[in-house]
Amino acid sequence: MSTKTAGHRYRKRPRLPDLAHQLAIFVASVILLTYVLAPFAWLVSSSFQTEAEIVSVPPHWIPHEPTLENFDAIFFYGQEEVTYESRSTVDPASGGYIPSTAKDLLPAMWNSFKVAIAVVILNLLVGVPAAYAMAKIRFKGRNASVYTILTTRVIPDIALVVPFFLVIKNLGLLDSLWALILTYLAITVPFTVFILVGYFESLPDDLDKAARIDGCSRFQALIRVFIPLAVPSLVAVVLFTFLTSWNEFLLALMFTQTQAAQTLPIIVASFTSDFTISFSFINAAGVVAVIPPVIVALMFERYIVSGLTAGAVKG
Amino acid sequence: MARIQFENVTKYYGNVLAVDKLNLEIRDKEFVVLLGPSGCGKTTTLNMIAGLEELSEGDIWFDDEIVNFMPPHKRDVAMVFQSYALYPHKSVYENIAFGLAMRKYPRDEIDQRVRDAAARLHIEHLLDRRPNQLSGGQRQRVALGRAMVRQPAVFLMDEPLSNLDAALRVSMRAEIKELHQTMQTTFVYVTHDQAEALTLADRIVVMKDGIVQQVGAPDEIYEQPRNMFVASFLGNPPINYLEGELVASNGRMAFRRGELTLALNGLASTRLKGDAGRKVVLGIRPEDVDDRNAPVDGGAIDGHVNFVMPIGSDQFLNMKLEGEELFFRVGKETRHRNGEEVTLAANLDRLHLFDQDTQKSLLWD
Repeated sequence: MSTKTAGHRYRKRPRLPDLAHQLAIFVASVILLTYVLAPFAWLVSSSFQTEAEIVSVPPHWIPHEPTLENFDAIFFYGQEEVTYESRSTVDPASGGYIPSTAKDLLPAMWNSFKVAIAVVILNLLVGVPAAYAMAKIRFKGRNASVYTILTTRVIPDIALVVPFFLVIKNLGLLDSLWALILTYLAITVPFTVFILVGYFESLPDDLDKAARIDGCSRFQALIRVFIPLAVPSLVAVVLFTFLTSWNEFLLALMFTQTQAAQTLPIIVASFTSDFTISFSFINAAGVVAVIPPVIVALMFERYIVSGLTAGAVKG
Repeated sequence: MARIQFENVTKYYGNVLAVDKLNLEIRDKEFVVLLGPSGCGKTTTLNMIAGLEELSEGDIWFDDEIVNFMPPHKRDVAMVFQSYALYPHKSVYENIAFGLAMRKYPRDEIDQRVRDAAARLHIEHLLDRRPNQLSGGQRQRVALGRAMVRQPAVFLMDEPLSNLDAALRVSMRAEIKELHQTMQTTFVYVTHDQAEALTLADRIVVMKDGIVQQVGAPDEIYEQPRNMFVASFLGNPPINYLEGELVASNGRMAFRRGELTLALNGLASTRLKGDAGRKVVLGIRPEDVDDRNAPVDGGAIDGHVNFVMPIGSDQFLNMKLEGEELFFRVGKETRHRNGEEVTLAANLDRLHLFDQDTQKSLLWD
């Protein structure tokens, strides 16, 4: 009898271990999500709170008296003159303090946006043809150029600040958006080429040959065959380069001094070194700062699809 | 119309020699098969015709023009790849139409040609699908269609059938042959499959290590191989080799190894007169023996049957003979048994003899 039971043990799918397994995965997911999302949730929640509510113990994860005054200050404050005397009176939210650089927030965001878009576009213009050539064209020095480009990525940015500064200064570009665009390209293009070379190499060489026999020049083969197939990796490149430029702090701090070129991270950081600090305002600024990257990510999310190349060649 | 001529064409990849001083003329409307094992330079040769590889030395002519550095899109060639190389983001229709669209054909002519080709290949119902929704055989047809619609002067095929299953491969062979007849254009076809080469080719070019071994009509290549490589590359199972020496007996030349003596026919005997004592390799194809008729004088092969392998139409005998294992193919009228001693009658007109050192044929050059 016992033999028979043992023989039937695996006849049906075992239910219980399965459930425990799913539960474990669920719990682990919740912990991970909390870890990742809690700081962000607090950022959003506190941006709707007054300075007084923000410091309450225990913290109010859901604001008891939600207010839009922090955002109001960001979007409409800029029209008023801020002086040492007026700095505490003009914050209608709580009697807290609005930083003196608050009026620079929106222009800085516009600067960040212009830099990020330029860096994205130039990355694609430079990186895509470079990666195609390195992946699909045999030429002397091909491997050397791939490795040289990759090597530049192991140099930390801080080591490049002084050389960058000298170049930018000699070009007369200090405190201009071009200073940021050029240096950000130096940082992001190698990474773009690295991603795209890998992707283009994974696309079969025969596609390249077929396109050229079908009447494409090299450039047309790139435009008509490889770029449409590379959309997922192009999206990755767009997201990476946009976010890198949007968040970059060190180089922006070095090369910009005025509202003409200062970017969002510089201005947001400056809020913490003012006469006094308004957490509610800083958090509202933080929420405003994440909106563009989130929009970009959502826009491209649906293009990140895998398996597009399935069926190109016999697997 | 296209005649392709290679003059001393050499191709290096770095220090590796892929094709060595190739001289070959492919005539207009001819079906030429480049045959050889992998790495023999046949695909490189094809790519050089297409313009996908640059040559290191020599010249390639299309009719009266040297095309060494003419880019692929300016040559009037179409190509079918082993991997099919269909564009995964385009529909079947767009795949077939792409080459015409790139050459700026009018839209209605493109449509006409695509639909004609699709009808001929029986893929009209697939025109809206993507390549990943097709079976291997269907993809193969789309790849053929893409090349066909262009009506090119030269049609290049790089092992187009090797990814298909056996039955489909045989039926596609017939279709390709028919395609060649109706298209009336020059075909250059690369394969390592000797059966494909024998069935399709007007002429076969056998290559090894970047060097052409022999060029000729299929029958010529099969029956008069110039060296041991060519003889063993064609035929399945491959030709049997036995090392031995030439002897003179009864005024004729004969091959001898131990107890085995096979007399040469008149032609060979005359040609090799005076070569008695020469070390040679005898080649005998599996099908060139007979177990029904008594052997003629000097044509008997006595051996021990190791095992019998029936293949439906015939039976293969694995035999032990003078210390070597040989394969023979006989009819199935007589049922043979494992371990049996048999006497087979060799077809003395079909023996091959090669020099042991140079491996070159002693009968044909």
